[in-house]
Order: sequence, then structure tokens, then C-alpha cells
Amino acid sequence: MKSVFFSRFFILLPWVLIVIIMIDIDSKRAIRAPVPGRTGKAQRIPRGGSIGASGAQNQSSLPIIYAITPTYSRPVQKAELTRLAHAFRQVPRLHWIVVEDSTSRTDLVTRFLARCGVTYTHLHVFTPRRFKRTGMPRATEQRNAALAWLRQHRSRRDSGVVFFADDDNTYSLELFEEMRSTRGVSVWPVGFVGGRSYERPLVSGGKVVGWYTGWRPDRPFATDMAGFAVNLQVILSNPRALFKRRGSQPGMQESDFLKQITKVSELEPKANNCTRVLVWHTRTEKPHLANEPKLKKDTVDIEV
Amino acid sequence: MPKRRDIIAIVLIVLPWTLLISVWHQSNITSVLAAQKGNTISSRSDSRALKESLSLQNRDSVHVVRTEYVYIRPPPWSETLPTLHIITPTYSRPVQKAELTRLANTLLHVTNLHWIVVEDSQRRTALVSRFLQETGLNFTHLNVETPLNYKTRGESRNTRVPRGTLQRNLALRWLRETYPVNFSKPGVVYFADDDNTYSLQLFEEMRSTKKVSVWPVAFVGGLRYESPKINALGKVYGWKTVFDPHRPFAIDMAGFAVNLSLILTKPQAYFKLRGVKGGYQESSLLKELVTLSELEPKASNCTKVLVWHTRTEKPVLVNEGKKGFTDSTVEI
Repeated sequence: MKSVFFSRFFILLPWVLIVIIMIDIDSKRAIRAPVPGRTGKAQRIPRGGSIGASGAQNQSSLPIIYAITPTYSRPVQKAELTRLAHAFRQVPRLHWIVVEDSTSRTDLVTRFLARCGVTYTHLHVFTPRRFKRTGMPRATEQRNAALAWLRQHRSRRDSGVVFFADDDNTYSLELFEEMRSTRGVSVWPVGFVGGRSYERPLVSGGKVVGWYTGWRPDRPFATDMAGFAVNLQVILSNPRALFKRRGSQPGMQESDFLKQITKVSELEPKANNCTRVLVWHTRTEKPHLANEPKLKKDTVDIEV
Repeated sequence: MPKRRDIIAIVLIVLPWTLLISVWHQSNITSVLAAQKGNTISSRSDSRALKESLSLQNRDSVHVVRTEYVYIRPPPWSETLPTLHIITPTYSRPVQKAELTRLANTLLHVTNLHWIVVEDSQRRTALVSRFLQETGLNFTHLNVETPLNYKTRGESRNTRVPRGTLQRNLALRWLRETYPVNFSKPGVVYFADDDNTYSLQLFEEMRSTKKVSVWPVAFVGGLRYESPKINALGKVYGWKTVFDPHRPFAIDMAGFAVNLSLILTKPQAYFKLRGVKGGYQESSLLKELVTLSELEPKASNCTKVLVWHTRTEKPVLVNEGKKGFTDSTVEI
């Protein structure tokens, strides 16, 4: 009798061990999912903006940052996109939406994006020349095309943050971690805008109470395109919020857009209560090309 | 029958044990791999994102390409690759931190990189020191001030010193003082100004430099790009430029890289300080190091542009006024 019992025990033992191990593996996988805010699937927001914390969390749960970049053909285009890609490659869960101002996808951008190392979407929409006079808002159609793509391809179940990344600005890597925790619309200082070293929202008690800027502080949202980010769900739940061209005044693009989706009291200040500059509105000089021959003289066709 | 029961019993015993052993073996291997990677990952931001590489091509041509990428900044040091010593002179101006940030964003992708930042200042500034530490890059921070009577403003053309010369020379001197002449570890020296744009491929091309390698540079000399002329044997025989193509080395600072051993074994080679005509600075160093025929063309025989001589506009700061409007303690 005892021998039968022992033999049965030893036969069962390894199976029991296997079951225990399987349970253990399953529970390890569950632990790696983010702990705070386990409610529901739509809004899995990691806590805080600290870089150290994000390392402990499971990658696939971080909200995706959608960077919308309008671009157009000019000599420095590839250089600008190259530097931008280098910044984006360091950011996990970033989806780059590049919208060209052209009638079709250009070879240069297509080839560039294929090798850039970032998840991307390549769109294009042409802005007619009559809208390209000085003082007129730029890249309106391109940004709207990107918003339309997001509305078409993303749903209420997706978590993400949308921001507008012009191709000649400079972004520090910290900025992306700050904006990832946006629940509604977040704002932060921007360097070299408004004719000043920086423009920033004024923050009191964790809320935005005014704007510190050198140009038209009476704007409802006196910030630059690079100075705010919007949660994806806010974009999706305001399907008619677009950048306006008709009736828009210079410098009011951001205000006209933001007032369709949020109020100043609902803005979330980032970057240490808007006291640190993490993005700079740099502009690249037009290169001197005076020595280029009028007719193509070179034997090879080199892309610059 | 007892035999069949025995067989069943044996199978029942052996099967789970083999399963257990194989699972344990597998988990051991992955944990060893993870431990190896863990040792080389820097403490900051070591989140890993492994995605399958598949590419979808939908009908409306929305390209979504997932690439396998591991977000480690910077990449782990390799014992076999030559070290790239990147020398960047910099000076205080409003866009300095922005320029260095962009450059650092690029350099963080490059393996075995040693960034030598030389400030044009009396003392190492807090802005640059703090910045360099936060990037996590392998760096050396030096400084030397260009005396006012050397600087570009208000001087006749031949006596002024081109910007960055003293700083680059200091970096060369530092290299010569730090590494012995017969230093065994291979290295390549490159001068990277802080406002240019560099592609990642450039750094890999220059790694194989044996003496001095050259390649095209965009937006210099009033052209879309300037490049060396390569003959059928793959050797440089001239320069495709409009601005003074008869210079000994009609190339921009960003267009060449030098093997470290060449720098160490020719300790008298420096950028000439005075009496250098515009555009001849690079020649003043290179003619001490190498002859035209010894140059190694890179970038597919100098047919690809991998570096752009971009320049950043001075930002419009009219609204600061004379006394400065914004809070000067906020660092930009």
C-alpha cells in the first residue's frame, strides 16, 4: 500500500511543480503591467514624469506619443528631418506622422522614412500657392490631415498624446516624458518665441493663470505650436476641432485651435510648473547657394 | 496488463521531468542574457522595447514600419570598435543649449563615442557642465578663452583667428597628453561643430579611417554640396568646389576625420592660428598630416551626402529690451 502511495506521489509531484511554475509565470506577467490606474484599458497613465519610474513599467502600456510634423521641400529638408529622427528614436512608443506639403509622396521623404528607425505614417496634402503669402498661417492643411488620419485610425480604446513637432525646432528628450502624462491638454515654456528668450504659461496653485510672453499677451492661449500637447481622446471626442485658415489672424492659430477643445483653467502645466525650457523654436538659416550653376553640371545626381 | 501499465507509469514520470528540465534550462539562458545586458545598461532610462519587425503596406500607402530597437542611452561600449573622439568647440549664445541638445540627441545613438566639448570661455560654465552630465554620454569638458584681440569682430581679415581654432587645438593637445604615442586602442578624431547636422551613417563610415578620410559636405562654399574628386582608382585627385578649388585641401571642417594614431605620432600638427586665409584652416592642419593621395574617400566614393553644414538663425529677441525682460535665472 505504501509503495503504491509513494509511487503515485512521485508521479504527481512533477505535474504539481509544472502547474506551480505556470501560475508563477502568469503572475509575473501580470505584475509587469502598470500598477497605478489599473482601472480600465483606455487610460493607462504612468505615474509622474520621472524618467526612472518609466523603466519599471511594461513598455506596451505607455501611451503612444503622436508627433505630427508638417514638412515641405527645400534644401535643408533632409537635414532637418534627420536631426528630428535622431531625437525621436530615443523615445519609446512614439509614432511619427509626417505630412508633406506636396501633391504626392516625394521619393526623398519616402526613402528617408523607411530608414529612420521610428514608427511612422507618411501623408501628404498640397497647400495652394495663394495660401503661402507672408502673414498667412502655415501648415494648416497638413496638420488637419494628420488629425483626420488620427480620427480615422484610432478609437476610444487607444491611449495617446498628440503634439505638433515642426521640423526645425529642437526638442530635449525630457519633453516627451513630461508630455506623456497629459490627460487633457498640457502646456510648457518654449524658447525663442514671442521675440523673447522664452514664452511660458504663468502657473499658480498648479493651474495656468496667465501667459508670460512678449507678443500679444491678450491671446486666449499665448503659446506656440510646440508649447502644448493634447490627449488623443480629446482629439477624438472633438471631431470638428481643426486648424482654421479662414478668418484667422497671424499668431492666433494655436489659440483658435485650443479654444475649440479646452479652457485655460483645464490646462495642465508641465516642466516643473512651467519653469524649465525643454523645447526651443530654433530656425535654420537658408543656406548660401550662390555658387550653384544654373544648369546641372555634375555627372552624378546626388541627394542633399 | 501490467506491462502496459508500467509503460504508462514510466511515461507519466518521465514526461513532466523532461518538461521541467527544458523549461528550467530555457529560463536559465534568458536570465543569463538579461543579466549580461543589465550589466551594460546605464542606470538611466533602460526601458526596453522589442517590437517585431514587420512592415505593412496598406492600400492608402500608410507605411507603418516597426523596427526592433532597444532604448539604451548611450549604446553599450564595444571592445572591438574604434573609439570616435568627437571634438566640438562651443561658445555662449542664446541657442547654445539647444544646439548642444540636438547634437547630443544624435550622438546618443553612436557606439564607442567620446565627446570632447571645448568651451570658448574663461571657466567651464555651469550650463554646459550640467548639460553634459545629464546626457549620460562619455565626455571630456575643456575650456580655453579666445582672447578678445583674436576674435573675429573688428579685426582685419588676416590677423583674426577663425572661430573655434584655439578650442580645437586644445582638444588636440589634450589627446596628445592623455594618450601615449603608441596607444594600442584604435581611435578616430572628428571635428563636429555644434550647429551642423550629422547622419548616423557618417559615424560608421569614419570608423574605418586608417589615416585621413574625406566625404562630401552639404551647404558649404555656396553650393548644395562640396566634395572631393575621385578618380577611377578610388583616389582623391582634386576638389569639386567653386570657391578656391586650388586649396591644398578644399574641404570643410566637417568633411574629414583623422586616425588617432596619426594625431599622436605627429605632435606638431595643429591648426594654424594667424595669417590663415578664409577657407584655408583645414588645409593648415591636413598638410601636416597627410598628402592628397593618401586620403581615403568614404560615403560610397564620395557620392552620398551624410553631413549638412546647417546654420541656425539668430533668434529674434527684440522684446527683451535693453535690460532683459525674462527671468535670467531660467536657463534656455
